[in-house]
Amino acid sequence: MPFEFTLFLAMVGVFAVCAFAVKLPVSLSMLAAALTGLLVSGNGLGIRHLVEGTFGYVDTILVIATAMIFMRAVQESGALDALNVVIIKRFRTVPALLLPMLMLVAMFPGMITGSSSASVLTAGAVVAPVLMILGLPAAEAGAFIALAGILGMIAPPVNIPAMIIGGGIDMPFVGFEVPLLLLTMPLAVIFSLTIGLKHVKKLSWEALAPKLDTETYERYGIRLFAPILVVAALMVLGKVVPKYFGMGLPVVFLIGAALALFVGKRFNPLLAAKSAVADALPVLGILAGVGMFIQVMTLTGVRGFVVVSALSVPPIMLYAAIAITIPLFGAVSSFGASSVLGVPFLLALLGKNQIVTAAALSLIASLGDFMPPTALSAIFAAQVVGVEKYSRVLRHLVIPSIVILAWALVFIAYSKQIAAMY
Amino acid sequence: MQKNHISAAIISILTLAACAVAGASFLEHRKVEPIVRGPGVTEVVKLSAWYAGLAGTPADTDVYVFRGQNPGGSMLVIGGTHPNEPSSFLSAVLLIENASAESGTLYVIPRANASGFTHNDPQEGAPLAYSFTLPDGSKRTFRYGSRATNPVHQWPDTDVYVHAASGQTLSGNETRNLNRGYPGRTDGTLTEKACYGITEMIRAEKIDLSIDLHEASPEYPVINAIVAHERAMPIASQVVLGLEFSDITIGLEPSPKNLRGLTHRELGDATDTLAVLMETANPSQGRLRSRTDEALVLTGKDPYYVKAQKLGRLYVPFDEKGHPIEERVGRHLTAIGEFAFAMSGEYPDRPIELSGVPGYDDLGAKGLGAFLRTAD
Repeated sequence: MPFEFTLFLAMVGVFAVCAFAVKLPVSLSMLAAALTGLLVSGNGLGIRHLVEGTFGYVDTILVIATAMIFMRAVQESGALDALNVVIIKRFRTVPALLLPMLMLVAMFPGMITGSSSASVLTAGAVVAPVLMILGLPAAEAGAFIALAGILGMIAPPVNIPAMIIGGGIDMPFVGFEVPLLLLTMPLAVIFSLTIGLKHVKKLSWEALAPKLDTETYERYGIRLFAPILVVAALMVLGKVVPKYFGMGLPVVFLIGAALALFVGKRFNPLLAAKSAVADALPVLGILAGVGMFIQVMTLTGVRGFVVVSALSVPPIMLYAAIAITIPLFGAVSSFGASSVLGVPFLLALLGKNQIVTAAALSLIASLGDFMPPTALSAIFAAQVVGVEKYSRVLRHLVIPSIVILAWALVFIAYSKQIAAMY
Repeated sequence: MQKNHISAAIISILTLAACAVAGASFLEHRKVEPIVRGPGVTEVVKLSAWYAGLAGTPADTDVYVFRGQNPGGSMLVIGGTHPNEPSSFLSAVLLIENASAESGTLYVIPRANASGFTHNDPQEGAPLAYSFTLPDGSKRTFRYGSRATNPVHQWPDTDVYVHAASGQTLSGNETRNLNRGYPGRTDGTLTEKACYGITEMIRAEKIDLSIDLHEASPEYPVINAIVAHERAMPIASQVVLGLEFSDITIGLEPSPKNLRGLTHRELGDATDTLAVLMETANPSQGRLRSRTDEALVLTGKDPYYVKAQKLGRLYVPFDEKGHPIEERVGRHLTAIGEFAFAMSGEYPDRPIELSGVPGYDDLGAKGLGAFLRTAD
């Protein structure tokens, strides 16, 4: 048995004991697992490695923290309630159209930013209350926006996992639009209808109105939506004219949050920001812990052991290895899985159409955002819909995840034929 | 005091202590290691001499000039584009400490991305430094850096990196990659300004041949190879043949026209120089590697790469002997000598003749430390 395998078992074992038996927070359990790896491998306390590992997520942590502040500000201003009123009033009678439309709206920030968390925490938080008012149980509404998060992250124009995988073999991010649309849009329509249609009923406005806060919209009007529109516009402008608007998502979210102070109900910005960051803190801690864990895995050779083991399967089992190992590694980071496993698997599939294959691998990598303990997309979706245990949301993501895997593997298997279609 | 306040205080103190310990090691990483001027160096000039916008910034870097006694052509060797590729930097160091130009002018930039030498890539577990013992028993230590500019010097990254000259998009972390920013621009990022400085230097000095030195992970398809701009192909072909005579097998790849921002494409397009890039095999930067430490950097021995080779997953032979640093530096230096020879043959009015360059066999027999000078 290779030493790295023993080390891996020790790290995972310590994590499990700390998280499940001692009931420590996941972030501290990851820290304990990383420390175990350092000590057992003879690297001492390795303080430099623990700190350096967390740096990989500094930008992500800033995006999540500011997105949470923005959403709390929008919520406190009354804009979310008002938006629910507008959407439900206009589209309640056509759920077959409304559901895919809500899915697209929820996907939009992910398509623009490449971040599933940005999608779930912004447009997802707008769409989720609408879904629940229309009749979806909270957990299924959470599953809906969690799926929108990862499909948005993969859909064009911005797909960071595909960029990372392509970058590993010096393949520019060119020509990905059509395969990414083919990979994501059919799934988006299917999932929105299969999750939502059975719950949504055509309700009269009179029946729905008492459940809604119609007063805020009547009092402040469409100016309530200014922060959301400004944030959406800045996201798009940041991509179209980055020279002038490439200010980065954290600044965009803070601009939106500041604007929310002036367009609707009054609220205390300091308290709102404090409570938003407090909500985000467990996830931010997990990201820091995951950063340490990956650094120690790499330092000690555990990462190499995992990658070589995945590549050691016979060719006939390669697809199974892709379907299992990439989402599993995504448990620590979907971007990490794209780089660490996505690139070697793309190299193992050099006979295929490289663009379609990389696009499909990126879709598989996105499933890492459903994988505990990080499960960013699922955890944030649970928070948005007010479900305490995110496992309740995860339950509804099992079948869609299998469908996503199968769909992506079909794209890999028939990559040349699919590329010939367009 | 409540129980949770006590826990919070303890965790805060431990966190501050960890930050202090780590911070000291990060600051240590900014100390620039000495490079000893050899007999052939006639001047050391800052890159900002060609683009003043770099003066005083962390991207400004030393350019070592070797003016030969006889007139001739000119050659630029770019080392340290990616400071996590040690054979690139060390080849430049060995040229500076040993080589002389008999004819023509040689320019050597050992730390093309000077900022990249001041930190490590997060989650890569890289060593801070590696050392060599010299024949007199003294030690020389060099920093192991990052593939990219230090975010302390250039931050934040955009979500998506857009190459300014072409509009080509890449992952946002490539924003700090020197070898994606050419030909560079004056109103761009620090990395793009460094690219601009190098491009300007090539234009101003009318450098005939530019060689960018790199390393690649053994699973990367372009490895033990020369990538050449189309105008540099005839010269590069001669070098491949010349290396074959020295029993060094090397591939030759044309520079892809649709992959923008790299030296072999942009320097060839933006200037009159013949632009080439060379890669050696470095397991310490690969995804399949086992334990990451100084030994891996220097010996290039790795059991998982041996296993991957047997599985047919690599693009370079890999056995228990690994790819030691002497072999990797030896390949680069021998190829540089062949390029000078080929240039002199192809352009007899612009000869480049170098002497004192450590040979491939000598490096293997004596070790790299034997060719380093004692630092004061």
